[in-house]
Amino acid sequence: MPMVLLKCDKDIPEREKHIYLKAPDEDTREYLPIANAATIPGTLSERGCAFCGAKLVIGGVLKDTIQMIHGPIGCAYDTWHTKRYPTDNGHFNMKYVWSTDMKESHIVFGGEKRLEQSMNEAFDEMPEVKRMIVYTTCPTALIGDDIKAVAKKVMKDRPDVDVFTVECPGFSGVSQSKGHHVLNIGWVNEKVGTLEPEITSEYTMNFIGDFNIQGDTQLLQTYWDRLGIQVIGHFTGNANYDDLRKMHRAKLNVVNCARSSGYIANELKKQYGIPRLDIDSWGFSYMAEGVRKICAFFGIEERGEQLIAEEEAKWKPKLDWYKERLKGKKMAIWTGGPRLWHWTKSVEDDLGIKVVAMSSKFGHEEDFEKVIARGQEGTYYIDDGNELEFFEIIDLVKPDVIFTGPRVGELVKKLHIPYVNGHGYHNGPYMGFEGFVNLARDTYNAVYNPLAGLAGVDIRVPEQVAPILLREAA
Amino acid sequence: MTAEALTDKVDDLYGYVQERCLWHFSSRSWDRQENIDGVLAKAGDMLTGREPVLESPNDRLQFAEAKSMVEDFRERFPWLREAGDEEIRQLLDGLKERLVDIAITQSHNRELKHHLY
Amino acid sequence: MSDCETLVNPSPEVKVSAKARGGVINPMYDCQPAGAQYAGIGVTDCIPLVHGGQGCSMFVRLLFAQHFKENFDIASTSLHEESAVFGGVRRVEEGVMVLAKRYPELRVIPIITTCSTEVIGDDIEGTIRSCQKALKAEFPERELYLAPVHTPSFKGSQVTGYSECVLSMFKTIAKEKTQPNGKLNIFPGWVNPGDVILLKRYMKEMGVDAKIFMDTENFDSPMMPDKAVEVQGQTTVEDIMDSANALATFALARYEGGTTGAWLEKTFEVPNHLMSTPYGIANTDALLRKISEVTGKPIPESLVRERGIALDALADLAHMFFANKKVAIYGHPDLVIGLAEFCLEVELEPVLLLIGDDQGSKYKKDPRIKALQDKVHFDMEVVHNADLWELESRITKGELKVDLIMGHSKGRYIAIYNNIPMVRVGFPTFDRAGLYRKPTMGYQGAMELAENIANTLFAHMEYTKDKEWILNTW
Repeated sequence: MPMVLLKCDKDIPEREKHIYLKAPDEDTREYLPIANAATIPGTLSERGCAFCGAKLVIGGVLKDTIQMIHGPIGCAYDTWHTKRYPTDNGHFNMKYVWSTDMKESHIVFGGEKRLEQSMNEAFDEMPEVKRMIVYTTCPTALIGDDIKAVAKKVMKDRPDVDVFTVECPGFSGVSQSKGHHVLNIGWVNEKVGTLEPEITSEYTMNFIGDFNIQGDTQLLQTYWDRLGIQVIGHFTGNANYDDLRKMHRAKLNVVNCARSSGYIANELKKQYGIPRLDIDSWGFSYMAEGVRKICAFFGIEERGEQLIAEEEAKWKPKLDWYKERLKGKKMAIWTGGPRLWHWTKSVEDDLGIKVVAMSSKFGHEEDFEKVIARGQEGTYYIDDGNELEFFEIIDLVKPDVIFTGPRVGELVKKLHIPYVNGHGYHNGPYMGFEGFVNLARDTYNAVYNPLAGLAGVDIRVPEQVAPILLREAA
Repeated sequence: MTAEALTDKVDDLYGYVQERCLWHFSSRSWDRQENIDGVLAKAGDMLTGREPVLESPNDRLQFAEAKSMVEDFRERFPWLREAGDEEIRQLLDGLKERLVDIAITQSHNRELKHHLY
Repeated sequence: MSDCETLVNPSPEVKVSAKARGGVINPMYDCQPAGAQYAGIGVTDCIPLVHGGQGCSMFVRLLFAQHFKENFDIASTSLHEESAVFGGVRRVEEGVMVLAKRYPELRVIPIITTCSTEVIGDDIEGTIRSCQKALKAEFPERELYLAPVHTPSFKGSQVTGYSECVLSMFKTIAKEKTQPNGKLNIFPGWVNPGDVILLKRYMKEMGVDAKIFMDTENFDSPMMPDKAVEVQGQTTVEDIMDSANALATFALARYEGGTTGAWLEKTFEVPNHLMSTPYGIANTDALLRKISEVTGKPIPESLVRERGIALDALADLAHMFFANKKVAIYGHPDLVIGLAEFCLEVELEPVLLLIGDDQGSKYKKDPRIKALQDKVHFDMEVVHNADLWELESRITKGELKVDLIMGHSKGRYIAIYNNIPMVRVGFPTFDRAGLYRKPTMGYQGAMELAENIANTLFAHMEYTKDKEWILNTW
């Protein structure tokens, strides 16, 4: 009975191919949800568009780069104030967004002049900023504006600026994922290798697929500093545009998010012979393992062991305190894709939590191979889950906490289930040793929130009282 | 060692790789195969007391992956200490067969043969 | 408080102009489809279907969730490449049928176009006819209203999109006059649940039967013991059907729903009263007097007292704390103009008004903007087609000094990084708790807004140690 047709899906039976319930002695040779396939219209899917995969997730993280969105105003407005990726230069990336604010006349007569004007205005208004990414959107792609030609002209007119173009309208692909791909491939082909880094350590790496959510990158950077490893390019957390032009000089690519950024790691391997090491930066034991592997690569194992020992001494007791209190709790994870496989085993091993249902917005089949290999039996694995499915799954698995985005979080609140922000975090960072203690703390505070118990009480019924939660001071 | 005992032990090793490792789930068939071959070869060297070759960057990467795995193998599976070179070879061959089977030969992943990364 | 500032401006001037730049840096509004979606969710058993890329609805849902801390159901046709090439009407047909089958309560689907589907040129009206045929075959007993909402993102903004969707739903659902119902149709515009609740209370206190379009009271929805999810608008199909039978229409926002009032008058001869948006005392007075005149119901003592209480509170603040304070206001045009009028009542000096989008020719003719010329004793600048960089750059370049910023959360960093007190008002206000619950309209709204302003200024004085001792005694 492994692939599941939910009751709410009786009129869209093709959804059965996307929902898997893992049973004993089964594996992905028999059952693998179809992923990265087109969404059925009208299903209230969670997916965004390819443009946002490029701009919001990757390009827009850069801390010194104008994000020029060539299209109507909404594409800029909507990909602004929706992320928590601070920087060490005052969060330039979160404060600003740029749009060519296309109007009907530009649709009719072409928008290239408007783009050129907007680019020049942007550089004029902020003369200290010299880097820009230009994105196409649905209408500018449909009318066929040549943004590369415009970028070339602006670079010729302004020799001190550098512009990267991303041609990835919202309708391309089936989800954000297409945008990740387009930006990755474009960057490695057009920008990597155009600038040389200053090498300060014999151990150099790129750290790929980490976007400094609530300071993840900055926390991990303290480890690399202690290990004496020079990170040439952070793709793209807290990164400068120019740093990422130098990625070809690293000796190792360490990949956290394989979905959004595996492509550039693969291309760097193919084009420059830089090996790719996939690690999990979320999770206590995973992080230690990642540090060990990186250090083994460079032959600096002792430094790694010292760092791990120091971090464990500092954070393990705290983690164990939470583990004691979270053991046996049931979690659902409804996020983008990779966090399913990054988290399912780490919350189980490090915190004793059982992950009972997982849904991915934009994961590929590779992500489901990974998560089904790691995840538990009796757990639901869902591709592109929609709202009615969520209600039904919640009823089936009854999670104690859901890791998901704020909007779905607001929805499950009505069902008296607390959520923790699985995208932007509640109070992160969540990566690294300290980060996973933060995740444990936020999960504990969510699960032991007295309000959910109070919400279940109907005050008209005298015998109903809120359950007493054995909550302790952390 | 009986065939059954061998299978049980391969199960253990396979279970570990499935739960802890990512290298056999790379993007395409060819790099999955490359990783499986490389990491298991380095693991074989380590488990049988040979000095692994560390010439290319890829050698170093596979060594780093194998090292972690071998350390965990030794810690989790005490019977490995007793195993002779021939048994190690059989175990790793068995493991490789299982990994190639799940990650390549019988994988339903429609992207494994994609010509682009 | 500026000491001994000269107050005499012999020739105060109101300058009205458009932003000089073509491109946008930090938009004030989202695009048309976003506004249309906001109107759509105001109707009971209605799920808007956005015909475009998935981002066009996903991010708007997130935006609404940020503001209201609630989840709203909005569907997408999930437009992909092949639709971009061959047309997307099949996606609409499929989306409508999937929604109809999976949501048996559903009664209205506004089909909201976007830039891409307008460029492609999908025939929405024709598609609706074919959808209706298919629906009749599948559900012979069921009436499902499909409203065509043409909202290309390259025209207008969320403001015009809101208006467009309200109008289209009325055109689709409203029926010919039958029996006069003695009710008022009230179009408050894009306001918070707090304002809707206030208007309902005022009408109740006056003994006037009125329908608020759209009735968003339940956008502030409870966690209930039975885990009911009640987050949807309360305007019903019957309310809209019955609107032609009303005694009169009161359009409180010229740019947000005002067109529907005019359409009801033209089509069904329902007298339409386009009012100044009731922000501040005088505008509220005018509204209540007009309603009293039209309905013959006297203004009750309770509202006279509420007005008195508001004036009593404002009098404590105006000439002691507010006078001569310079204010910049940005947001929806009806809100900004109304708030400027309110500011003048409490001696605040709104020196810069920013309103957005390409509807400049309408704004220039707005009698309320013209009337400001006679009311101000200082120079005022009104910028239309504005972005938030208009405000930020004037401040950072030293061209503008303001004591207070009033606007929505998208401008938060201007206030934070320039150390200027800011009162959140309008949409969205995601960085302050619970504002959607508070009225801004009416006497109560004016009082609460003024108190929010005062407390914001007081807190600022305390944090910056700027005459914090003034409040040593008050």
